[in-house]
Amino acid sequence: MTMAINKKLLSLLLLVSSLSSIASASFSDPDSDSDLTNELASLRSNSESGVIHLDDHGISKFLISSPTPRPYSILLFFDATQLHSKTELRLQELRREFGLVSATFLANNNGSDLNKLFFCEIEFSRSQSSFQRFGVNALPHIRLVTGSTAKLSDESGQMDQSDFARLAESMAEFVEQRTKLTVGPIQRPPFLSKAQISVIVAMIVIATPFVIKRILRGETLLHDHRLWLSGAIFIYFFSVAGTMHNIIRKMPMFLQDRNDPNKLVFFYQGSGMQLGAEGFAVGFLYTVVGLLLAFVTNVLVRVRNLNVQRLVMLVALVVSSWAVKQVVYLDNWKTGYGIHPYWPSSWQ
Amino acid sequence: MAAKKASPDLLNSSFSFKSLKLKTKQQELLLRVSILGLVYVLAFIARLFSVLRYESMIHEFDPYFNYRTTLFLTEKGFYEFWNWFDSESWYPLGRIIGGTLYPGLMVTAALIYWTLRFLRFFVHIREVCVLTAPFFASNTTLVAYFFGKEIWDTGAGLVAAALIAICPGYISRSVAGSYDNEAVAIFALLLTFYLFVKAVKTGSLSWALGSAFGYFYMVSAWGGYVFIINLVPLYVLVLLITGRYSMRLYVAYNCMYILGMLLAMQIRFVGFQHVQSGEHMAAMGVFLLMQVFYFLDWVKHQLNDTKLFQTFLRITVTSAILVGGIALGVGTASGYISPWTGRFYSLLDPTYAKDHIPIIASVSEHQPTAWSSFMFDYHILLFLFPAGLYFCFKRLSDATIFIVMYGLTSLYFAGVMVRLILVATPAVCLISAIAVSATVKNLTSLLRTKQKVPQTGSTKGVGSSKSSSKVTLDQSQPFHKNGAIALLVGVFYLLSRYAIHCTWVTSEAYSSPSIVLAARGAHGNRIIFDDYREAYYWLRQNTPTDAKVMSWWDYGYQITAMGNRTVIVDNNTWNNTHIATVGRAMSSYEDEAYDIMRSLDVNYVLVVFGGVTGYSSDDINKFLWMVRIGGGVYPVIKEPDYLVNGEFRVDKGASPKMLNCLMYKLCYYRFGELVTEYGKPTGYDRARGVEIGNKDIKLEHLEEAYTTSNWIVRVYRVKPPTNML
Repeated sequence: MTMAINKKLLSLLLLVSSLSSIASASFSDPDSDSDLTNELASLRSNSESGVIHLDDHGISKFLISSPTPRPYSILLFFDATQLHSKTELRLQELRREFGLVSATFLANNNGSDLNKLFFCEIEFSRSQSSFQRFGVNALPHIRLVTGSTAKLSDESGQMDQSDFARLAESMAEFVEQRTKLTVGPIQRPPFLSKAQISVIVAMIVIATPFVIKRILRGETLLHDHRLWLSGAIFIYFFSVAGTMHNIIRKMPMFLQDRNDPNKLVFFYQGSGMQLGAEGFAVGFLYTVVGLLLAFVTNVLVRVRNLNVQRLVMLVALVVSSWAVKQVVYLDNWKTGYGIHPYWPSSWQ
Repeated sequence: MAAKKASPDLLNSSFSFKSLKLKTKQQELLLRVSILGLVYVLAFIARLFSVLRYESMIHEFDPYFNYRTTLFLTEKGFYEFWNWFDSESWYPLGRIIGGTLYPGLMVTAALIYWTLRFLRFFVHIREVCVLTAPFFASNTTLVAYFFGKEIWDTGAGLVAAALIAICPGYISRSVAGSYDNEAVAIFALLLTFYLFVKAVKTGSLSWALGSAFGYFYMVSAWGGYVFIINLVPLYVLVLLITGRYSMRLYVAYNCMYILGMLLAMQIRFVGFQHVQSGEHMAAMGVFLLMQVFYFLDWVKHQLNDTKLFQTFLRITVTSAILVGGIALGVGTASGYISPWTGRFYSLLDPTYAKDHIPIIASVSEHQPTAWSSFMFDYHILLFLFPAGLYFCFKRLSDATIFIVMYGLTSLYFAGVMVRLILVATPAVCLISAIAVSATVKNLTSLLRTKQKVPQTGSTKGVGSSKSSSKVTLDQSQPFHKNGAIALLVGVFYLLSRYAIHCTWVTSEAYSSPSIVLAARGAHGNRIIFDDYREAYYWLRQNTPTDAKVMSWWDYGYQITAMGNRTVIVDNNTWNNTHIATVGRAMSSYEDEAYDIMRSLDVNYVLVVFGGVTGYSSDDINKFLWMVRIGGGVYPVIKEPDYLVNGEFRVDKGASPKMLNCLMYKLCYYRFGELVTEYGKPTGYDRARGVEIGNKDIKLEHLEEAYTTSNWIVRVYRVKPPTNML
């Protein structure tokens, strides 16, 4: 989407960027430098984890109209709310990691180094012209604008794909390499806050004597067969549905058809890959057949009412054969194999 | 499965055979033994497709190393083998073979070979190696039978043996020619589990001793033994928690753990890891916990006051956990206990490998499993598995708890990595066999009751089945008969589909040696590409014996085994830096690569190229992994340099770095002159379906030495430096 808009305004961009470089070269004033730095610092102190939210106005103020060399560098995160729904771009995750780097930088630096680098973000829908100026037409995009960068469309400050592959750690490495400032080890917030941990520990301590007492008497949930059975079935379902595959590969539940955006694709053709919903559907079919078999041979025989027995049996048979047929059909379709028996050659 | 009872009329009419007639029990035994015998043979011959279709040869990559070492073992003897320093691989580092392999497979094959020789069967060692895997698969069916008998009954045992004999999940790693560690390891794994379950059931020292030796064999054969040494303690822990602690368990576990540990430490590759590394700590912790339990039992016996005992219990349990925790903490902090290895960690946190260890993530068999792979390898066993679980829970015992735990843990791991489907296969077969056997038994006993009721009026025949026998109401019988017949037909239909599926999969998917490639020609005829062996034999015949060959690590074992030349890296990926150096050379410009190759004394470079034949697993398709692994150590190599908008291309739109790197040049040298497909321009790459971007390739420091008939393997000679004068 961004790309299309960008192409339209490409000519405008060239014009604006050339104008801005002329403007920025025209004057330089040490007083206004420190003013801008102070303003940025105050903006930073008001924003969460020190990431300043800029718009077109802010960009022109701090980057375009300010003369080079500026006394500060800006690491800019390009965000687009409308693309947050596209999970493969990982915008929200990267934005969180970006905030982490910023917070770590703030925590580990004080004094003069602190005001040499500012972490900022701009949002596409409110700052479209800035996106044009930077020549950004694909996200995710993170750009370092150093003090000496005169042209905003200069792409040398762009963070490569590989630089945010390892999230905050690699972003920090990139920053340290380029700016010669230290970010320090990333301080991730603990999974549970201290208060939560203390509450949990207290609860465990209180519960321990009761639990021990019940274990000794042999009447815990752990002694309940049904719980173990359902747990076992769940693990089975989890595995055969390829859930690990979905987690590791971060597969979406379904895709949009490329030719027809209203149509959803639930099944992916080609072995070794699958979509989320596809796995769950097939895993469900597997489980249903197995459980029906167990049910028919173990529970149903105890039912006294003959008609109920007959009916349930019939339903079970029909459902199972349908499910097996469906799975075999899907498998043949997905892998493209035509499995057939081998007959003795004299029969042909 | 019970045999039919002979009716009195039949006995009278065939009076002359009366002396030959066997008693029911004997009949049953005869049936059982003959079924087992047939299954044993079936398991063997089902794995011979590859030999019949191609020839008796070793498959894939790793087996060539195993073959080479086995050859060395039979020629030079055990001590030479044990102390072997191999200077032909990992040049210039070399590799200490004896200390870095699991010798179980080689020793097994050598023993079979020596036995055959002793019996005056003069076979070639290669034939022994090729047939080791099917032979052990046959033995596995026997173990599966006894295991099934132990956890359920003989019927389940027979069904389990039949299922595992042809299960594709197992066949994939045990066809004739796949001479790999897993071939014997699955047998050893199942044997150890069987003996341990038997030991827990009987509490006898001799079974526990047996399982310790089974464990030793497993440790000597495969790194997957870590699964045993974690599953068994977990099982013991579950038994302890659910209040199933017994003296039998105490004897079985202690004997198995202590002896097994001492034996395992005799394998040099394992050594002190067994008491020091984090993966083995669970076993030790459970061992100590066992002692605490035993001690408590003893104190309880001594103290008659329950209140006093309660207090004592609390103090002991708390202090035991504390001491254990502190010991583990101190051990880890002081470095005495090593932390978990990356491979192990990637099983527990599956996303770990992808982010941190590209060399593990790059191997195709380490990919996570999609549902279709499960279906492909298990077929109907997947449907039967939940039913089997249900039956196991219906009849909980120490043995069924074990098989349920084994099934679930291994199935979870199978979801994380495709290759671990192999480990889960025996468990899935056993649990499904319980489902089949219990269902069939229930149904047939119902059918047989009907026949008897009018004749004798007794209901004795149903005594065997537990749940269904409760319904013996007269009016329900017509339904039961129909329903039972319908269900039986359904079950047998499914089983026949299973047999068809397994045969087809074995024949079409799992029996190709991957060193000889086969394709269907335009007229449906089979075309064989034997380029790999052509190239390796060329190397063997035409290059100096001390020549060093550089290739990507996949082909290292094959070059040393068949070409008998020294390689820089091979499939034993023990030194990531060395592999990254090769990756860097392959992805650099020719003059930079030349410096690297000079520093490694490389004489020949070998690349695998599928552009002419359309063979898709060639070096160009593996190239991004070379870049990633190289870039992991040398940051000058950057993946985006080889991509265009995140896309990997080789045509005109490819990145300039890609078009001029060494790998590209070596693969596509002179390819621009060639017409590969009718109606396409010259230089049309059939593996990727594009016209290549750089058709005019000039080599400066290398020259083409040999290209095989289908261009799959290309060998280049590295020119000596030009004379300075």
